[in-house]
Amino acid sequence: MNASEDHIAAGAPLLDIRGLSLAFGGLKAVNEFSLALRPNALQGLIGPNGAGKTTVFNLITGVYRPDAGSILLAGRRLNGLKPHLIAEAGVARTFQNIRLFGDLSVFDNVCVACHLRTGRTPAAMTLAAPREDAPRHIAFRAARTGAHALLHMALTAHDLATVLLRTRRHLGEERAIRERALHLLSMFHLDHRKDELARNLPYGDQRRLEIARALATNPRVLLLDEPAAGMNTQEKRDLAGLIRRLRDEFRLTLLLIDHDVGLIMDICERITVLDYGQVIACGQPSEVQNDPKVIEAYLGEPMPHAE
Amino acid sequence: MDGLSVGSLYALIALGYTMVYGVLQFINFAHGDIVMIGAWLSFWICARLGWAGNDAPPSLARAAATLLFAMVVCGTLGFLIERLAYRPLRSAPRLNILITAIGMSLLLENVGQLPIVFGTENQGMPGLLPKETLLSVAGVNITLIDVLIIGCSIALMAGLNHLVYSTRLGLAMRAASFDTKTASLMGVNINRTISLAFVIGAMLAAAAGFLYAVKYTNLNQPAFPTWILLGLTAFVAAVVGGIGNIRGAMIGGVLIGLLEKFGTAYVSSSFKEVYVFSILILVLLFKPTGILGSARVEKV
Amino acid sequence: MELLATRARDYRPPTWLAILRGLLGPTIVVLLAVVLQRYSKSLFADEYRVWDDVLLKVGVNVILAVSLNIVNGYTGQFSIGHAGFMAVGGYTAAFLSYYGSFALWGDTMPHGGFLSCVSEPAEFVGRFADTGDAWFLLVLLAAGLAAALAGVVVGLPSIRLRGDYLAIVTLGFGEIVRVLLDSTEGTLSAEEIPEHSWASRAHYLGGPMGFFGQPFYTTHFWVWLFAGVTILTAYRLKASTFGRAFLAIRENEVAAQSIGVSTTSYKVYAFVISAFFAGIAGALYAHQLGNALAPSELCYQKSFDVIIMVVIGGMGSITGSILGAVLVTALPEWLRQPTHVWHVGLAMILVALAFSRFRVSRTVVLMALLTAALELMRFLSLHYEVNLERYRMILYALSLIAFMLLRPQGFFGVYEAWDAVRFWRLRPRGKTAAVGATP
Repeated sequence: MNASEDHIAAGAPLLDIRGLSLAFGGLKAVNEFSLALRPNALQGLIGPNGAGKTTVFNLITGVYRPDAGSILLAGRRLNGLKPHLIAEAGVARTFQNIRLFGDLSVFDNVCVACHLRTGRTPAAMTLAAPREDAPRHIAFRAARTGAHALLHMALTAHDLATVLLRTRRHLGEERAIRERALHLLSMFHLDHRKDELARNLPYGDQRRLEIARALATNPRVLLLDEPAAGMNTQEKRDLAGLIRRLRDEFRLTLLLIDHDVGLIMDICERITVLDYGQVIACGQPSEVQNDPKVIEAYLGEPMPHAE
Repeated sequence: MDGLSVGSLYALIALGYTMVYGVLQFINFAHGDIVMIGAWLSFWICARLGWAGNDAPPSLARAAATLLFAMVVCGTLGFLIERLAYRPLRSAPRLNILITAIGMSLLLENVGQLPIVFGTENQGMPGLLPKETLLSVAGVNITLIDVLIIGCSIALMAGLNHLVYSTRLGLAMRAASFDTKTASLMGVNINRTISLAFVIGAMLAAAAGFLYAVKYTNLNQPAFPTWILLGLTAFVAAVVGGIGNIRGAMIGGVLIGLLEKFGTAYVSSSFKEVYVFSILILVLLFKPTGILGSARVEKV
Repeated sequence: MELLATRARDYRPPTWLAILRGLLGPTIVVLLAVVLQRYSKSLFADEYRVWDDVLLKVGVNVILAVSLNIVNGYTGQFSIGHAGFMAVGGYTAAFLSYYGSFALWGDTMPHGGFLSCVSEPAEFVGRFADTGDAWFLLVLLAAGLAAALAGVVVGLPSIRLRGDYLAIVTLGFGEIVRVLLDSTEGTLSAEEIPEHSWASRAHYLGGPMGFFGQPFYTTHFWVWLFAGVTILTAYRLKASTFGRAFLAIRENEVAAQSIGVSTTSYKVYAFVISAFFAGIAGALYAHQLGNALAPSELCYQKSFDVIIMVVIGGMGSITGSILGAVLVTALPEWLRQPTHVWHVGLAMILVALAFSRFRVSRTVVLMALLTAALELMRFLSLHYEVNLERYRMILYALSLIAFMLLRPQGFFGVYEAWDAVRFWRLRPRGKTAAVGATP
């Protein structure tokens, strides 16, 4: 950890993405995507429909495996890791199409996510984490995934024992988790609905619950995928305030996708614009706003070429 | 040769699994029981019409009539099952449909066991087709029954192939299996297409049941594990060929049939299920899409 | 990051309190098992002796249902190979208790032991100082471990397989176990045993006829002890990082990974824990007087039975699984001799009403209809002298389909009986806040 803190202190970016590419068949969904997030940055990622924004998120969080490029978090290489290890490393996300645990209570939705930071995750896990950079044979990957699962089980068997025997450690952890979950819920004004099922919440509350759940993993980088989708003006304004507050209170580094360009322009310090999987502009809101390439991407072909 | 004829039976059954999976993405657990019903219906109609005695002469016309009867009744049954049990659950989680299918399978087996239906006794299927050996090539006996089974299966599969790839109905079916929602927006009658998949699947299963009964003549009682295992083996064939892919099912069926026969001949006959399920696990682990299948990417 | 870990350390209760809290559940379980062992025979009047046997079956089925619920209900992986684990456990146990007893005592009779002090003397063989009961405990645990090992083997494919495919693979596992057991040969007699080495004895497991000769150790104490332990395990899991991880995988695998849940290893965990108890249930089944330990008894139809219990009770609910086990076990007995059920129905309607805060919900209507249907069946069967038991499986099948169509979440859904307290506290808040157990 010390090495990485030094790394940050030296002014290097916290999340450093270079030359990320992914193709689905012949279609280049993301091409040579690069992005550097300084600690505590609040950056927007915009682009027309199908530009590859969510794909970038999926690449960072390990849902997809990049064909090329590197993702470094505080100097540590993330690409090739399984999604749960990336979450453990400190990258959390929300989803465009909300993915809450619908049949669990609001409270439990947050509690689940607290498990990472109770001080029990064995360090050996990270050491033994399999990387899947190189596309190897499926049989090889299957065997390695299996072996890794067994290793994880061997290292956590002790935890299972503490749970089944209700040891002091287990009881202390449960209490700490409950407290933290309640704290997070109250920050998001969801504490009065904590016993309701997540799927019964109104839409806006579901979006906020998803952020609360992501925060419960205690991330360093938080990726928000269209957090304002389907919200009205007032809710969007509240959300903007909330995002700023989160950044300050949790010392978060945020990357934000939204279709509401106005909202992004309003709260983000820097904006990256994607089109057809490629970065076409990057800079401060005012710069991006007037970039001819961005205008072209959003409004179509520039006038002279139009019929 | 035996392997080929068993394989073509598997292929016929596998087609039913694969078509239903194609349009609904779920494994119709009750499909193996439709095969059972088909086989028993063939017996039942023969017994009713007095064709069941040992002295009854082999007759192609009677065989064809029996086959037709079994196919029509099972087709109707397939339609009813889809209509009453699966359609109301179309939008439910897939697990619920799976459980319903298990329930349906149990229901068919146990209703079949009732004394007023088929009873719990094993029965001997009358020899509707002559049992003679046609010719012997290099020590392999080719019997008329095997040839008829293979011919019949090929005819049915060719018919299905024509239906799916060269008619409007088939186009609708392929569209529905590709993307149900879009297909329905494009004016495809989804309900009719799904019903059709079930009816055709059930008819093919009935045909397979009939052919099975003719080939092995000893009919196990309706709830006997053989039936479920017959269905499961065919399902494995569908997976090996690439589930959701009609031509894959045909190839997979023949492949599994041959493999099973070779395994039985050269290793041991009592471990038939072990081979079949080992193949399933291997295919699922290393080439989950099967021989001809294409991958579906889950959208995140 | 440090905060939560530090807090977790600070919040550790004093040791004495932790021990008290940890021991509360096990103590209740042991007491219950002892009480049943001592008084079960006098609990039932002579004409209801059959219910004593049913009570044992209920116990074994409770273990099976509650443990299957960990895989099917909590984790949302659909296993239909539970009977396979049961068979692995049952045969391991029978092997150890039959051939092992022979090695220990030179015969294969039950040798009593510490249970003598809590059993009715007339029913018990042996003295307190004997070691038979201790040996049986070891046998049970070994059976559980053997099944758990099988659970690892079956659980590993679940990493790559979803839904229907996994279901078929688990079914395939069960069938493979059955075929392998079928291919063994008849149990060795006492004279033959010494001629065979331990390794070769594994080839004599009874074959299609089933394993014969194992001592009948299974009593209320063992059955209800392990039923209690299973329930306790399921309960403690549910309120822990493990249980929540299982539930998260069921709800949404991608989201579960995104918050750091290692879906692969938790799935295998679920299989291993579930298989362990299924193995113990199999061992208890194997040593119960009147059961046939034969491959045909432990094939997929047994798995379906357990699935029916879990589905009817409510996938994900411990209470539901217990209820399902009780209903499915008691149903054949009831069908043999139908008695009035309206009082039971009424009680359940009241419970359902309590859950829905005294609104006449669909559940209540369904319960009323169910009770009426059972009463009607009773009337018809008595009137026309039909043996209803013949239609048992049809009834199961129909109820499975009916539940899926009308109430797919089963009786309890994902809730537990003790959640009722929480529902009472929740104030009704319009339509969105209706969180009853009602659909």
